[in-house]
Amino acid sequence: MRQLKLKTSQKIGAGLLLLLLAFALLEALLHGTAPYLQRLDQAFALPSLQEPLGTDQFGRSMLARMGAALRLSLILSLICVLTSATLGILLGVVAGWWQGWADRLLSFILNMLLALPGLVLILLFAGLAPGSLLMLYLAISLVLWVEYFRVVRAITRTQIQSSAMQASHMLGFGRWYCFRRHIWPALVSPVFTLAAFGAANAILALAALGFVSVGVRPPTAELGLMMVELFPYYSDAPWVLAQPVLAVFLLVLSLNLLAGGKRS
Amino acid sequence: MTGSQPIIPLLQVENLCVFSRPQAKNQAPELLLEPLSFSLYPGERLTILGETGAGKSLLMQAIMGTLPKPLYHQGRIRIAGQDLDALPQTEREQLWGRRIALLPQEPWHALDPLMPSQEQVSEVYQCVKGRKPDSADHQATQDLLAVGLQGAEHKRPDQLSGGMAQRLAFCAATAAGASLILADEPTKGLDTSCREALVQLLCKKSTQGTLLTITHDVAVARQLGGRILVMKSGRLLDDGRIKQVLDDSACQYTRQLIEAEPARWPPYPLPNIQQATPILEAQELSKQRGNKRLFEHLSLQIRRGEILGLTGDSGCGKSTLGDILLGLLPADSGRVYRRGGFAPQRYLKLYQDPPASFAPQVKLAQLFDDLIRLHRLDAKRLPALLERLNLSTHLLQRHSHQVSGGELQRLALARVLLMEPVFLFADEPVSRLDPITARDVLQLLVEVATEYQCAVLLVSHDPALVHKICHTQRCLSLP
Amino acid sequence: MMRLLLLRLGQAALVCWSVGTLSFILMHLLPGNMAFRVAAGRYGYDNLNLAAAQAVEIELGLDQPVWEQYLNWLLDLMRFDFGNSLVSGLPIAHELMHFLEHTLMLAVTAMLLALLLALPIGIYAAIRENCWFDRASLLMSVLLRAQPVFMVGLVLLLIFSLQLRWLPVAGFDGPRFLILPAISLALVLAALSSRVIRHAGVEVIHSAFFQFSRIKGLSFGQTLIRHGLRNAALPVVAFLGIQLVTLIEGIVMIESLFSWPGLGHGLAHAVFNRDVPMIQGAAMSLGLLFVVLNLWVDIACHLIDPRGRAES
Repeated sequence: MRQLKLKTSQKIGAGLLLLLLAFALLEALLHGTAPYLQRLDQAFALPSLQEPLGTDQFGRSMLARMGAALRLSLILSLICVLTSATLGILLGVVAGWWQGWADRLLSFILNMLLALPGLVLILLFAGLAPGSLLMLYLAISLVLWVEYFRVVRAITRTQIQSSAMQASHMLGFGRWYCFRRHIWPALVSPVFTLAAFGAANAILALAALGFVSVGVRPPTAELGLMMVELFPYYSDAPWVLAQPVLAVFLLVLSLNLLAGGKRS
Repeated sequence: MTGSQPIIPLLQVENLCVFSRPQAKNQAPELLLEPLSFSLYPGERLTILGETGAGKSLLMQAIMGTLPKPLYHQGRIRIAGQDLDALPQTEREQLWGRRIALLPQEPWHALDPLMPSQEQVSEVYQCVKGRKPDSADHQATQDLLAVGLQGAEHKRPDQLSGGMAQRLAFCAATAAGASLILADEPTKGLDTSCREALVQLLCKKSTQGTLLTITHDVAVARQLGGRILVMKSGRLLDDGRIKQVLDDSACQYTRQLIEAEPARWPPYPLPNIQQATPILEAQELSKQRGNKRLFEHLSLQIRRGEILGLTGDSGCGKSTLGDILLGLLPADSGRVYRRGGFAPQRYLKLYQDPPASFAPQVKLAQLFDDLIRLHRLDAKRLPALLERLNLSTHLLQRHSHQVSGGELQRLALARVLLMEPVFLFADEPVSRLDPITARDVLQLLVEVATEYQCAVLLVSHDPALVHKICHTQRCLSLP
Repeated sequence: MMRLLLLRLGQAALVCWSVGTLSFILMHLLPGNMAFRVAAGRYGYDNLNLAAAQAVEIELGLDQPVWEQYLNWLLDLMRFDFGNSLVSGLPIAHELMHFLEHTLMLAVTAMLLALLLALPIGIYAAIRENCWFDRASLLMSVLLRAQPVFMVGLVLLLIFSLQLRWLPVAGFDGPRFLILPAISLALVLAALSSRVIRHAGVEVIHSAFFQFSRIKGLSFGQTLIRHGLRNAALPVVAFLGIQLVTLIEGIVMIESLFSWPGLGHGLAHAVFNRDVPMIQGAAMSLGLLFVVLNLWVDIACHLIDPRGRAES
């Protein structure tokens, strides 16, 4: 296949993301402390050799908590993107290609989902099973697939009407060939952009839910939840509060840079 | 040549050349338009003839002062004696519309898509000439009437035909009273009938001023008359009065260009097909698009090896008819019969836009390979076929967008011929190609079709072309 | 146009149905006996006894089969009878009106502010494409968009309320309370829309019709006003439809942050407290608000671009 050419800003994004990923993985491998372990006598200890990122209000290791929180955000966003992209591409191609009742049914579902703003839907789902990661995953994926579906369906439609695909069809090539040669190559780059934006949105949604206390429950280390827990101590220990804030910022920034082109 | 005349030329170009700024510091600038000089006096007409990529549009942009950023020009341009490069940009812009008018290449894009026709003209009287809205509107109505656009005053550009849009653009461009008119490919994409009306309009207007036209169409140059410059890849090749250049030029390229005109083609020796068996038959076809009836009760028959030419104005349903014959579109009524029991893959199509008919992401070799493998064809036939079509096998190592239009159309032909077709629908296959290439490609098409005994439905907007190389002609006109 | 109206109407019905159904499921997922919960909500935990619970059970039809309860639930919805809050015991409809008022106040102020920010920034950046101002506005936009919505509010809150003590921290008690939430929301909205306006503007300025208008003799300013603005407005307004998602999400987050007594805060709070009738009411109101705003955008697009009219 053709190689993916990245712009400079996309390379910076990819580099940043790799750094965060490396931090999250290495922390799990090399740093032994559990993120729940409380040592109240060491609350808000300043960064030291032992605790490079200091401790929080319960004396828990911030290094361990940041590592756990980053892993949670990254893994959740990854599986959300995988689920929603697979679902969206599959259904988008089906709806774009067959265009009969399947298209009408899927478009109906789409319009139904679009009627509710994403975050409201996620909040409702979060209400169904408070603190359940599975529910958050389902809700976020449900909101994200819509975007893939719309884009993939539109591209599939234009490809099907293109002279190139008409020519292939007349020359006797089957549907699988048409998909492989005409539809898939046209999908790769927009789907990649959507995936990067989707991952950023999943991370933001998780943090937002944590922030309004309807996401995962304490003592789980989660970036939004950590912000809201540490906010009251903003003047005592600003460096601790800054950590989850910076983490979300870098995560989303790296993904937005990686996405490259502007949102359509 | 006419330098002894006492009047100052309206437009004087002296050693004008256009360069492209180098990308890296150690590179030399690339010369896109070689030094060119000419003068135009009031009442004169000058036509620049040449194929696309000959640097004709750069000349226009240099005169207007609208060259894109990475390009720059050298040499002198004077308008009524005034050196343009001595003027600051704002004063130069003051000349637009008032002294020089530019007729755009694609009027549909040049007109504001949301504004009614009349307003696009009247705003010039209002904003440039400072007239009151009432009087500006009145004048605009008069202008539109003069070019036959009555009734279209309140329509938007998307509701106009190509010819109407071009006439509207003409009114808007010249409303501010410029005496020097530049027309950049003004007949591109227009039907023969619209083309003539527009050329007459240009001639009429230029009696009061000066007209500089760029075109690739020898017929347009002939109709415009006056002086002519022939250009190829940024270089001036020929210069003179139109009659003298077109009838008897010493320049080989000019002669080639003229001979590429369909009217000048020698009649092609078509084989007799009276005895051939019919391959495709259509009975009583009717088709509507939207509320427009394209054709009704249309019947036709085409035999093996027959070249059937189909002409008609744009939008009359020529392509639709071809697609119906191939089974790509359903007819509203009537039937199409395929005779002789050939495989469906031997009924094929050549497209108007060559790059659009190949998947862009893979090498051409891959696409040919796919086809050969799918139908278990003899791979050894391909090199011979390419040679027959004057194509190098190296081209296969490229992607479709890295190959020129003429080559790509021949590659498309090669792909079709691999299947040994019995019927080929060629939908304006050469309308996007330069005249010389177009003639070559079309000649090849007819030759190989005869060799393969393949029936061809050739759609074209040019009756002269169809007249020369087809057995039979059909003209579609809207009922 | 009729088709669009029907689509939006259908969406509104779907919002009611889906939110209603989810809430119904939610109600039945709540731990404990539902009749006791409702009775407790009504009469207070002190006055709670079996008789009261049974009365409630019969009154609300909780002894009926589930599907019948579901139908009754939806029927109530159709009559806009949202019931009482499980937490405060007050009628939901009354509270919703109060919330809606405040949400609209915040949303309208924020959108106006965002417009005041984004329009001049976007247009100027488009005219001076790639100059330092354009790049700076791009950088600001990228930085703002890489934050969760509440972060912007949080930073403003830290600076202006907690450090400088110029403005109140949370709640609503007069116009001064509006300033910080509105500015936070406006910044988030403007970060994206200023770039959209800039892109649309650049596209129009480079378009063939813009150039042709200049060549006809009109000045840059005349061309910008006569041809630029209307044509650039089209993609911008169409984008507003997409931006509405950001607006609603922003409302939820910013209201929660500033304890603004609006629908978003109400919803988040209700989800936290598992106050199902309130969840239903707030989610439905936000959903309907979203649909109505979308309809406005449709109508605006329709008015700007008459070309679509002939097609539909």
